[in-house]
Amino acid sequence: MSIRNRWFLLFAGLMSLVLVAAAACGGGKSSADKTATAGAGTGAKTATTGAADQAPADQQKIVTQMPEPEFVDPHRSNFEQDIGIERMLFRGLYNLTDDGKGGVKVEPAMAAADPTVAGSVYTIKLKAGLKWSDGQPLTAADFVYGIQRECDATVASPYQYVLGAGLGELKGCDELFTNKDAAQTQALTDALGIKATDDLTLVVTLNKPIATFTTIWSLWATFPSRKDVITKFGDKWTDPANIVVNGPFTLTELVAKDHATLKPNPNWTGKKPALQQITVKFIDDLSAAFKAFQTGELTETNIQATDVATAKKDAALAKQVIVVPSARITAIEIQMKNAAISDLNLRTALSRAIDRKTLVDVVYDGVHAPATYWVVKGLKGFQGNEAFDSKIGFDVTAAKAALAAYKASGKTVPELKFTTRDTPQRRNEADFLVKAWKDTLGITVTPEFVDSKTRSSRFNKEDFELFPGGWQLDYPDIENPLVGLFDTGGGNNKYNCSDPDVDAGFKEAAAATTDDARIKAYQKVETNVVTKMCGVIPMYQDAQPFMLSTKLGGVLPNGTIDAGQPGNYCVECWFVKKS
Amino acid sequence: MATYAIRRVLWVIPVLWAVATITFVLMHLVPGGPFTQDKKLPPAVTDALERRYHFDQPLWKQYSLFLWNSSHGDLGLSVRGDREVSDVIRHGFFVTAQLGTMGFVVAVVLGMTLGTLSALNHNGPLDYLGVGFSTIGASVPNFILGSFLVVLFAVNIQIFKVLGWGGPLQVSDIFDSSAYDWRKLVLPVVAISALPASFIARVTRASVLEVLSQDYIRTARAKGLAESRVVLRHTIKNALIPTLTVMGPIAANLVTGSFIIETMFAINGVGKESIDAIVRRDYQVILGTTLFYTMIVTFANLAVDLAYAAVDPRIRYR
Repeated sequence: MSIRNRWFLLFAGLMSLVLVAAAACGGGKSSADKTATAGAGTGAKTATTGAADQAPADQQKIVTQMPEPEFVDPHRSNFEQDIGIERMLFRGLYNLTDDGKGGVKVEPAMAAADPTVAGSVYTIKLKAGLKWSDGQPLTAADFVYGIQRECDATVASPYQYVLGAGLGELKGCDELFTNKDAAQTQALTDALGIKATDDLTLVVTLNKPIATFTTIWSLWATFPSRKDVITKFGDKWTDPANIVVNGPFTLTELVAKDHATLKPNPNWTGKKPALQQITVKFIDDLSAAFKAFQTGELTETNIQATDVATAKKDAALAKQVIVVPSARITAIEIQMKNAAISDLNLRTALSRAIDRKTLVDVVYDGVHAPATYWVVKGLKGFQGNEAFDSKIGFDVTAAKAALAAYKASGKTVPELKFTTRDTPQRRNEADFLVKAWKDTLGITVTPEFVDSKTRSSRFNKEDFELFPGGWQLDYPDIENPLVGLFDTGGGNNKYNCSDPDVDAGFKEAAAATTDDARIKAYQKVETNVVTKMCGVIPMYQDAQPFMLSTKLGGVLPNGTIDAGQPGNYCVECWFVKKS
Repeated sequence: MATYAIRRVLWVIPVLWAVATITFVLMHLVPGGPFTQDKKLPPAVTDALERRYHFDQPLWKQYSLFLWNSSHGDLGLSVRGDREVSDVIRHGFFVTAQLGTMGFVVAVVLGMTLGTLSALNHNGPLDYLGVGFSTIGASVPNFILGSFLVVLFAVNIQIFKVLGWGGPLQVSDIFDSSAYDWRKLVLPVVAISALPASFIARVTRASVLEVLSQDYIRTARAKGLAESRVVLRHTIKNALIPTLTVMGPIAANLVTGSFIIETMFAINGVGKESIDAIVRRDYQVILGTTLFYTMIVTFANLAVDLAYAAVDPRIRYR
């Protein structure tokens, strides 16, 4: 090789090293406002401040991240991102807000006050002067039409069931939804238990009184709809050119798979938003979203748990990380039809061999909260780890003793299968658990990685042995993560939990005449489910990490509400701070 | 030649039918459907949703309906947002085609230039540079390269942006200068073109080296022709055939989109859409995008075959 070529190679090698070092070293200039703030931490409340702290109107623009919503129509929505945008565009009779104690409370939104209750009849008065974004008055009839759509099978709302038997108990809703005879449709619609007696008065008739009325009537499934608009535009009624809304913002632009632009609703009668524009970028890849935040292209974004540690290493980014507890428990769902798993001793051994703290620290960088409970923190009736750690928590000695008791009955431990999603984090989680069971108990568990639809299909067909899953709250009430999941024959009871004590607890809750008695009954249900691991072995309560620019103020914690974005139930509270 | 081209075009029809049938069968063999989820929907809800999209019909009826409708240009509705599949493909392809075309142009220009220079400077510094580049480009996966470029040039040095496509998102924006942001264009185009550029460079280098060793090149030089004329007129043209062969599949691959690059840069292209549709079992979108890709690949191969005839007068089709 000639001397010239050697020098050239040396130069090329040095340049490569410089490039790699430049990429690897230094946190770069982040988008952070470097002024100190108390904003970092777990769900910390960003102080609400007055107009003096707000940037001028022409700077009140932010760019946030969400996965793309499937629908903007609240009566067709099924996913968190749909509901997140709809909370900015619409409001129902009631709205969920943070109660300052990590939980939620219900406040009137379009309703003037709580309903007057007479048996199963609930009368709600609307606030006076409410308007749609096009200036038309918002009346009780709009709520009636919204509910008619929700119960209409041709609309096919995925959340119709929250108004049906066992939950919302709205008279006639299930009958209308399951009707297949077109000739009966009008009569069934007229028989629905919701009437507008005048423009400001709604009368809702249930099959029986429920304790969760205002909670359920804060959900997107109960949002009002404009009959004239939907009749005129059909499914295109949510196009920006056609949509009418009653929330603080309206949809001015929607580019499929790219972004949505929201601007203040001029006819919103609530707290006037400071923000003049919210651009919601549709991003699925949270790693890409994190990088976009670092380049200053996003004001707020959800990030992966594994990026939290990276963010915390940077002085500026660390001030902008917040971790919001999610309304979800992740558990190992266990098929009780399996002969081995149906033995309580084996389930106890499996549960007590899991070091939940180390699991979340190693796999999720400490973002989630280890949990031996099932009812999430923040709900009324929450019992917490203290109630269950001693029964099912990590204890190697107790795990081995339980396994010995299992074997003493003459049974052998079969090889078990652990079916999970094929993602990096689920793979790591599976590796951790498989190793724990092998090292502590000598039990061989084989992981099986499948895509999410295959996994869901297997779960619904009850074709699984061990299966990481869980429950995301539909609404913040203790009944939601229990009813239908653990009662014998429950619609979501795919693990075949069937326990007389659990069923008795459900009966007691259904018969309760006070809210306290109802909650106590459900606590007993949780206690029986968890201590007997009837279908589930809780592992951790999820949390969602977000990057929130220090320029953004007014973001209130969500409490125990779906945190598609933190504080999105009061988007009118957000503002860009003065520099 | 015209007869040959027409015959090749007509062959597309049975090819599309075969692809549609195989895709339809495979789609329904895979577990899970568009409404399958952990939190199982009540049967009444699932029934209502399936009725809405005609998934309650027997499979043979769904198949026949799809063939009939698609032959009339109706690819059905996506379960995500009830968007027409043809709209989904059109809007997604508009963006993907921009990305793919730019990537293709960069790959061809860079690849052929490097390959030619490498061959002309055989065993010299330029040759080492070219071979080094093509080896790295071929070895490093585009998601690694893309991440590296993002961290270096966007996060650290902050020259470029990473979010979304920097070109027009709709046809109506083509002549709107505010629809362009060059800072968003560079990184995804570089990331997507690196592998094909390195491949083209290697093929071009090998082909040019072979042509340079031919007698007629020696004769041309002996005649006293300028080196530029020898290279441009005699060498490159004759070295193009192997390069053209690989360009067809490369063009088809680029223009149909890269799921990884589109995801990494949050680009709303048809590549990502088609993978997402498979994951969420959006049957109509899966069928529509598969047929679309089939047409792209078929016509790309036809274009390559016709280009052979244009480049090499010895090649004639009957």
